[in-house]
Amino acid sequence: MAVAEKKLSRKLEEIYERIKAEIPWEPVGPTPMPEIPDLRNWDMRLLKTYAPFYAPFCDLCCFCTYGKCDLTGGQRGACGIDIAAQQARIVLLACLMGCSAHAAHGAHILEHLIEKHGPDKKIDLGGSIEIEAPHIRTVLGLKPETLGDLQTALEYVFKEIGHLLDSCHTGQEGSALDYESKALHAGMLDHVGMEAADIAQIVGFNFPTSTADTPLVEMGWGAIDKSKPTILVSGHNPATSTEVIDYLREHNLEDKVEVAGVCCTALETTRYSDKAKIVGPLSRQLFFMRAGIADVIMTDEQCIRTDTPQEATKVGSVVVACLDKAMYGLEDATEMDVDNIVRRMVDNGEHFAILDSEKAAEVAVKVAIELAPKRRKEWLTENEAMELAKKCNDCGMCEQVCPNLCSIGEGITELAKGNFEPIRELFNQCIGCGKCEEVCPRDVAIFKLMQVAAGNETWKARAGRGPIMDTEIRTVGAPITLGTIPGVVAIVGCSNFPDIDDVADMVDEFAKRKYIVVLSGCSAMVAGMKKDADGKTVYEKYSPNFEAGGVVNVGSCVANSHITGAAIKIANIFAALPLRGNYEVMADYVLNRVGAVGVAWGAMSQKAASIATGCNRLGIPVVLGPHSSKYRRLYLSRKEEDDWKVMDARKKEIVDTGEPSPEHLAYVCETKEKAMPVIAKLCIRKNDTPQGRAIKLNHYISLYKKYIGGGLPEDLHLFVRRDADIPLVYKKEVRAHLEKIGWQPKEPVGLPTLIGTYPSKVPLDAVIH
Amino acid sequence: MSAVIPRHRVNVLTGFKSARLIEDASEYANLIKKARRPLLVVGPLLLKSLPDGKLPLEYALDIAKAAKIPICATAQTRGKIVELGVQPDCVYDTVEIVNALKDPDWRGVKKEGNHDLVMFFGIRSDLGNQGLSTLKHFAPHLKTMTMCKHYFPHASYSLPNFKKDVNWQEFLENLIANLKKGD
Repeated sequence: MAVAEKKLSRKLEEIYERIKAEIPWEPVGPTPMPEIPDLRNWDMRLLKTYAPFYAPFCDLCCFCTYGKCDLTGGQRGACGIDIAAQQARIVLLACLMGCSAHAAHGAHILEHLIEKHGPDKKIDLGGSIEIEAPHIRTVLGLKPETLGDLQTALEYVFKEIGHLLDSCHTGQEGSALDYESKALHAGMLDHVGMEAADIAQIVGFNFPTSTADTPLVEMGWGAIDKSKPTILVSGHNPATSTEVIDYLREHNLEDKVEVAGVCCTALETTRYSDKAKIVGPLSRQLFFMRAGIADVIMTDEQCIRTDTPQEATKVGSVVVACLDKAMYGLEDATEMDVDNIVRRMVDNGEHFAILDSEKAAEVAVKVAIELAPKRRKEWLTENEAMELAKKCNDCGMCEQVCPNLCSIGEGITELAKGNFEPIRELFNQCIGCGKCEEVCPRDVAIFKLMQVAAGNETWKARAGRGPIMDTEIRTVGAPITLGTIPGVVAIVGCSNFPDIDDVADMVDEFAKRKYIVVLSGCSAMVAGMKKDADGKTVYEKYSPNFEAGGVVNVGSCVANSHITGAAIKIANIFAALPLRGNYEVMADYVLNRVGAVGVAWGAMSQKAASIATGCNRLGIPVVLGPHSSKYRRLYLSRKEEDDWKVMDARKKEIVDTGEPSPEHLAYVCETKEKAMPVIAKLCIRKNDTPQGRAIKLNHYISLYKKYIGGGLPEDLHLFVRRDADIPLVYKKEVRAHLEKIGWQPKEPVGLPTLIGTYPSKVPLDAVIH
Repeated sequence: MSAVIPRHRVNVLTGFKSARLIEDASEYANLIKKARRPLLVVGPLLLKSLPDGKLPLEYALDIAKAAKIPICATAQTRGKIVELGVQPDCVYDTVEIVNALKDPDWRGVKKEGNHDLVMFFGIRSDLGNQGLSTLKHFAPHLKTMTMCKHYFPHASYSLPNFKKDVNWQEFLENLIANLKKGD
């Protein structure tokens, strides 16, 4: 026993040294730098109410040479694993891929910036942000002051990733719940990695910070001047795209060469230069490449097409692969002479990997300038499109392979008749994978035809602004936790949307209702790709502040950490709860008192899985679009049948509230219409005051009536505690309904917490502020 | 030609336990009639009119009426069902009803015990298949069936892929007629 205590103590000493515990900015909480078991009890408490729901994508396990093993009908694999644990293992692997992608992005950026500025470069996020890194402070217990400190955070993340990945090996973990706890751990680590990456970017590239009113940047193909040499930057890592901007500035070429981006590199680059353009989300990548507008395509990492060189060759573009994550089998020209590379790219159309950012930027600009005059960039006319469309006989092969289940043939045959409306609708639903064109037996150039639908329309997106300011948190902390700001709706993630317009519709609906709407990644772009009757996008229509009715673009994928970070800041700044090494207290506060919900309507990637799972461990529910059932796992409650007991920390007694708030942690909706009231419902928290609850229920009821209809929500009674909770406008109708079903009032809980309802090192007093 | 299954299937398993394909409306009707507590789960694809102007939801309501099957309204279908003069027996979204169904101790929509046959009708195929997969693996106490015009491999019983809507409609009409016939 003494030996065990000594070992633990030595381990803790090492942790204290790494987090500089001697600097007394806050006392160190119970779980600095938590390892796999340290937050397991918290996870198990969450999973008790929000049990994993598995939808196996495959009946088999093909992981090792024992198999393939058939796991149907309750059978176990040769190693002993069952279908539930196998699903959970795959989810964990997805989360680890996602977490690794962000952390490795951060590590690369840090290496690049430390090379430029040194490890002692101070972290300064401006006068309005003192809590610079809420995740790193909460999870590690470290207050990062320099770029070098961010490396400490990433070293911790990589160490944990190693242990988690180890557990996926054949013949280890056998419990689905323990795999889920590990996935939640990976999700938490992801937010640390994302935060380190984006802070590094803000500090190293002077991205906007401590401001809300960032520039409105141009978006859409029409925004790009096709007469100019054009460089497309694609992916997530701005190390090279910022070098391109620097090179253009230094050589007075910024107005002579177009720099356009897809996916998150577009968001990063427009944080650096408001002259850069956004082509659109990931779903527009293949369209844009096949349009041949880009003379040079620069790829970095994550969410880039794996066939970029092949696609570029088809249209006479050339590729520079800028990061080791994706080198496409290309010749590594990092050590090669610039003029030699330029000649081979211009004269022979060769593609290269160049892992030196400065050199890659110089090559890209020089090649684009030389190559552009030699290339023709012609747009298909409507008449040409109609002619091309006549090849289609609507055989239906394209529909069979479409991940979004689109009736493409119908659209093409209508186009052939001169009716362009169906193809325009399809373009909004298209996720841009190209499978339709690949299987077409008549080689109809479907993507080219869609160019007509894409048109030359332009939109505006607000440049990403980074963290939510502490000053904003002080203003909105009280109304969010009391419920008078009805919620924070974070619409995030990839572009695997059922329909691209859904995002702008959601933003408009909730901003109009005075929710705070926060955006990131591809969702932040497409939010701006719809105009109202006055020709305005949501970015032009609503305030950019983190306030009721504000529409805030935090930035790229890694900026998602600022959204969850804002939730932590509410607990820390507004409620004055210490966050240092105090994850459970922060998560418990967010779960019970911060009405925030994530919406990943087009989630596609493993990164989205880890981001969402990280939100879940922090107590933030996530609504997913219909495709996300293919992630295989959700966290669902069973409404009133589940355990909704909380501790009332003021009375120090356990109360059975019977109130399913938030009802689910990871939930799939089939349609936008269903998602609208669900989002409003998932903002309900036990901490709501009667006034706040009445506001939230007002939105829940009115959204339900608007999008679903047929009467009041079927579960409304579960969320009405007392008569004062009933919104004034529906008072009569709701009272009559409640009376009919025999509803009984119940007392709201003074200070709801899960602490005290499960085994934890955290004392109950720790949640009282 | 039926598929040849290799002797050492461990090395070459590729597919899954697939739905039994049924093209005969009377056989489908018999399966429904045999069920003690069937449930019809209705999805939003039924709200889009067919080329002849008929709403597929009307078929669903006719099936439910003919066989006295309780209806679970998912997504935004409740509004239209009520508009057509029917009160759905429960309102859940797809993942919620599947989550309840997989619990053998769930008391079901009528509080009489869990259902023994669950029919999916009008749920988009990716979500529908995933939900059916959940039930295939975790709800051995019930059978599943689909009414949509495409094959759903994770169901217990499925219709084939109908190339023409009119053939599918014909099947549904025959099914309703068979259900109306009684035992």
